[in-house]
Amino acid sequence: MSDTEQPQGWPTAEVDPVRRLRALAGAVSGAAVTERVYDAPLDVVWGVLVDFEGSFADLQADLTEVRVLDRTGDRVEVAAKGRLGQRARLRGVARDGFCWLQSRFLIMAMAATEEGDGRTRVALTGGVRVPGRAAIVPVGVRRESRRTLDRLGEMLA
Amino acid sequence: MADQLEQVDPGELVRAAQRGDTVALCDVLDLVTPYVGRVCGAIALDSGPDAAQETLMVVMRSLGGLREPAALFGWVRAIAVREAVRYAERDRRAWPLEEHTLARLPAPGDPELISDVHDVLTRLTPRLRAVLLLRDVHGYSEEDAAALLDLPVGTVKSRLHRARESFRKAWQS
Repeated sequence: MSDTEQPQGWPTAEVDPVRRLRALAGAVSGAAVTERVYDAPLDVVWGVLVDFEGSFADLQADLTEVRVLDRTGDRVEVAAKGRLGQRARLRGVARDGFCWLQSRFLIMAMAATEEGDGRTRVALTGGVRVPGRAAIVPVGVRRESRRTLDRLGEMLA
Repeated sequence: MADQLEQVDPGELVRAAQRGDTVALCDVLDLVTPYVGRVCGAIALDSGPDAAQETLMVVMRSLGGLREPAALFGWVRAIAVREAVRYAERDRRAWPLEEHTLARLPAPGDPELISDVHDVLTRLTPRLRAVLLLRDVHGYSEEDAAALLDLPVGTVKSRLHRARESFRKAWQS
């Protein structure tokens, strides 16, 4: 790292996973972020959101099956199968509170952070990727995220 | 994560992100976030998280135009300082007038100082916090720090003298 260490005692600003997702999505054309707060603790919410071989495919309307191909540290590679038989190999980052995955034709991203009083804020974005670019086709991005958040709410109820 | 990123050339990550790889973009974000958090926390104090988020948004959005990936941290620093000052000045309740507050800075050697850097910082204006950080932590010249913040060099020199001496005592203890 080429950055400078700060002397002890100087205040540091924390950047939670939802803030990170907002910042990252800002650099991806069409990646509108949709957020919702759930009355459930972070570990429970996150456990449902990124259970790749369990609830993940139930949450994402267009997927029927997800398999983890490789997981090293916070790096993950998954194979996903769509309802129309299409297949995608997504790779990216998955760690507590933050997940960002991309394939040639898809981007899927989610983040969660404690909101206080046992509540959790979840932020989502994703959709059909413009191949090879940091861009999502800007059609139905918020609608799909809202549907996913609705299903997450039902699972947490 | 940090271990994995330390093995990667930041310039290579930036170039991959500029080519449209969003996972590389994510890695660049991870690489600069702790640094942005330190700069924004020191200058913007309670507004630090908002300033850090805004800095990261600007950095991510503008990364495509960074011509010298090797200069990543210097470029990020300039954005972070400007955003942190902007957010801190917006929240005027966080900083009283400097003429009054500099007079109340603890004297060098004051045992209170060492354990309460945050308290001392709250008594400075955001721009003075920024100059102090740039000059005494990041090694900027007073001229460069003043230029980055659009302040007269003479003003910076005279008003920072006591604050800098106090902080040096704290760091060297």
